[in-house]
Amino acid sequence: MSSSPRISNISLITAPELNIDFLWELSFAFLALAALYFISIFLIRNKIDGNSIQSKQKKIELSPILSEFLFYEDTCSKEEKQNYLNLKIQIRELIKDDFDRKVLTEILLDLRKDLSGQSQQVLMNLYKDLGIHNDAFEKLTSRRWQIISKGILELTAMEVMEAYMLIVKFINHKQSTIRKQAEIAVVTLKEEGISYFLDNTKYKISEWQQLKLLDVLRHKPNFKPPHFSLWLTSNNTHVVLFALRLIKYYRQSNAEQSIITLLKHKKKDIQCEAIDCIKEFYFVNALPTLKLVYPKAPLQVKISILDAIGEIGSQLDIEFLEAVRKKEKSFIIKSKVLGTLNKISPESILPFKNIDTHEYFMETDNIEDHSEKQSNAFVAAINEKQSATEFNADLENLEKETSKTHILKETIDESPCEDHLIDTMLEVSEAEDISSQSELQKIDVVDPLEISTRVPVEGESAETVVEKEKASGLITAKQPGAVEEEPINLSQQNDLEYIRELKVDFLPLVVAEAIKIIPEAEESSIEVNPLFDLDDSHPEESSIEIESEPLKELNEIDISSFPFEEELEIDSDLIGIKSNTSVSFENNTISFSPNFLEEDELEKMVLLEQISDMGDHRELPFLRDLIKESTSGLLMERTKELIDKFSANQISFSLEKNAHSNLNISVFSEIFKLSDTETQLLLLEEINVIGDEKEIPLLKSLVADQNKQIALKAKQVLEHLEYNLNEKKTKVLLEASVDSLFKVDFELDIECKANGKIHDDGATLFDQLCYKSNSLYNKLNGK
Amino acid sequence: MGKRVLLADDDQLLASLLNFRLRKGGYEVHHSSNGKEVKEFLKSNMPDIIVSDIMMPYFSGIELIDYVRNVLKSSTPIIIISSAGNEQNVLSAFELGANDFITKPVSPTELLVRVAREIK
Repeated sequence: MSSSPRISNISLITAPELNIDFLWELSFAFLALAALYFISIFLIRNKIDGNSIQSKQKKIELSPILSEFLFYEDTCSKEEKQNYLNLKIQIRELIKDDFDRKVLTEILLDLRKDLSGQSQQVLMNLYKDLGIHNDAFEKLTSRRWQIISKGILELTAMEVMEAYMLIVKFINHKQSTIRKQAEIAVVTLKEEGISYFLDNTKYKISEWQQLKLLDVLRHKPNFKPPHFSLWLTSNNTHVVLFALRLIKYYRQSNAEQSIITLLKHKKKDIQCEAIDCIKEFYFVNALPTLKLVYPKAPLQVKISILDAIGEIGSQLDIEFLEAVRKKEKSFIIKSKVLGTLNKISPESILPFKNIDTHEYFMETDNIEDHSEKQSNAFVAAINEKQSATEFNADLENLEKETSKTHILKETIDESPCEDHLIDTMLEVSEAEDISSQSELQKIDVVDPLEISTRVPVEGESAETVVEKEKASGLITAKQPGAVEEEPINLSQQNDLEYIRELKVDFLPLVVAEAIKIIPEAEESSIEVNPLFDLDDSHPEESSIEIESEPLKELNEIDISSFPFEEELEIDSDLIGIKSNTSVSFENNTISFSPNFLEEDELEKMVLLEQISDMGDHRELPFLRDLIKESTSGLLMERTKELIDKFSANQISFSLEKNAHSNLNISVFSEIFKLSDTETQLLLLEEINVIGDEKEIPLLKSLVADQNKQIALKAKQVLEHLEYNLNEKKTKVLLEASVDSLFKVDFELDIECKANGKIHDDGATLFDQLCYKSNSLYNKLNGK
Repeated sequence: MGKRVLLADDDQLLASLLNFRLRKGGYEVHHSSNGKEVKEFLKSNMPDIIVSDIMMPYFSGIELIDYVRNVLKSSTPIIIISSAGNEQNVLSAFELGANDFITKPVSPTELLVRVAREIK
């Protein structure tokens, strides 16, 4: 209520008066403009359509004429020639008209794309003959860039060589379309165009343009590429880059130094391209520069360098790569380095990611632990047997073995566990390879783990350990069964276990390298026996002989707890250890007595091994002599083995020899050896059919074959073969006798007469003939 | 009377040129500029050889091969002309039963030789 009087007091703003007439006029004007616009569009479109239809019609009209021109042959009839001349006049008249000329140009350009071969050449000649190229020249003088570009394109398509000099000036045109068109034209039209272009271009050459230019060069017939190394010194980096690519494409490897220098270029594109060239041409001389450039190079270049080193590098570059591997933090480069290392030296880097090392290398720790346990257990065992007062030679052996175990333990402690374990395994496997199979069976190569599992832990009785191990299946079948079968008391058994388990036959193999680590200050000299000493049948010879001070721990051992001498002797007999073996206890200490082979013995042993490797049955007399002379059990045993081996060989050799000498080699014998029963039976069938006297010894040997089937078959074949051979012989004799009837040797006759045998025998003419034939046969056979 | 050739190509200029060359080579040529025409023609006439562009309105060259081989069950030789000589096109054409494949630019003389060979 209160506001209404206030409103009434305010005067309203009056709207300005609109000139409606003016508005109407404006609207009409806009409508008129719109109409004009649409009309003009309609008209223009109509005109374009009309032109298009006209052009199309003109094309249809002109195409037969063009066809006549294109496929005109001089050999055609007079009428056709007349027709051709008429058409030529007609077409010349036509091109006087601009539209017609334009249409004709379009037709020719279209057909240029669709035709190849001779027709294309004729088309281009027609283009020039009709003078249409002059229109293109005019286009080049236009102010509008698109016209110029069109003119260049036309002249390039129609390969108008005369246009070259006119187009060349557009190479450095500021309008990129004209420039690019001109570049392609220059390269297309003349062979030296590429040189001119590379010499003169100041602008960037885009990647696409480089591809197009390369495509033009590729398709140029008989193109002889210039030495692109000439442009490696260009001020235009794009030219340098393009030149490098062309060098690579045309495989021009004559610019080694320039390319190597380009490794130091500031632009990474050029560096990468140079590296590619180095790889392509295998420029090994670039390696130092590659390494020099590497530290400051960007990531992409670094990868390229590593790639190149992988390609052309050698073992000498591994050091550099290792350094890079350590320094580099980039994941990509690290991966690349690993790849490169493996490329140079295959499998030098093995997969390491997500490889569980723990599972496979824990065992070293086990060895260590168990070795410790072993010695502790040994000490504990000795403490238990303090009541013993005298110690025999077997205990010396025991001491020796203990010492070995300690050395093994120390070595394991000192050396990197994993490597040693691997070395140990390798050496053991090598030893296995070297030894013969039979020897291997005898050798009780005690596995480090095996040792450890057999030794009781401190405070645990040996019996318990043995039982535990039996339960867990750790006691292997390698242990001589006799020991287990013998009813011996527990203490003896325990000691035996120690002696047996400590007989570390593999030590010479395993510890050989490790022993070297032991300092000289310890005044220890360790000799390693040759591999053949590992034979378990000669444990005294397979032990390591150590001259060392008794181990401190052992000195402290109260040896009175050891078993009596008699007991130990029994034990050692049980396991085949002779009384003179290694460990002896003297003056309450355990001392190690050396158990080397005599030098002479050792030499003979080596000789025997060599004979074993390289010898054959011819060595048998020598071996027999050796066995007579020899006094050493080991030597005699080894010699016997070799005699057995070579004797077996000799039998087969003599068989072969017989076969060779008597039969001149039966082709079946070799195959027979390698065949199964079924094949052997088939072979016997074959022998039955095609065999001759060569096969007889083989068959005779087979008659006594274990396989009854083979023996029976061989017998049958042998009988058959012998029968056949006899038949043949008789036949030959008969033939010879018949022949001799017609080839009577006068001299023989005289000879016969001189011998007077014919008359003496009073034989008939037939007898005489037989005699002659026999003598002739004998003569032929050299009898 | 020469052997009948069906030339199917929507490019009037090239078709005219090829037509001329084939006629000059002694063949009777029927030109169709699109697929429909080709189909209609084939319903009533079976030429001795078909030369067809792969790209045509309504009915492509590949479809034409399929039509001739599988619908009409005809073994009439078919030569395909294509500006896109990509592997897929070539394989499709041959798989469906084309006898030959020519990539543009075409040499009319070469086409003549190929036609003669296929008709033999």
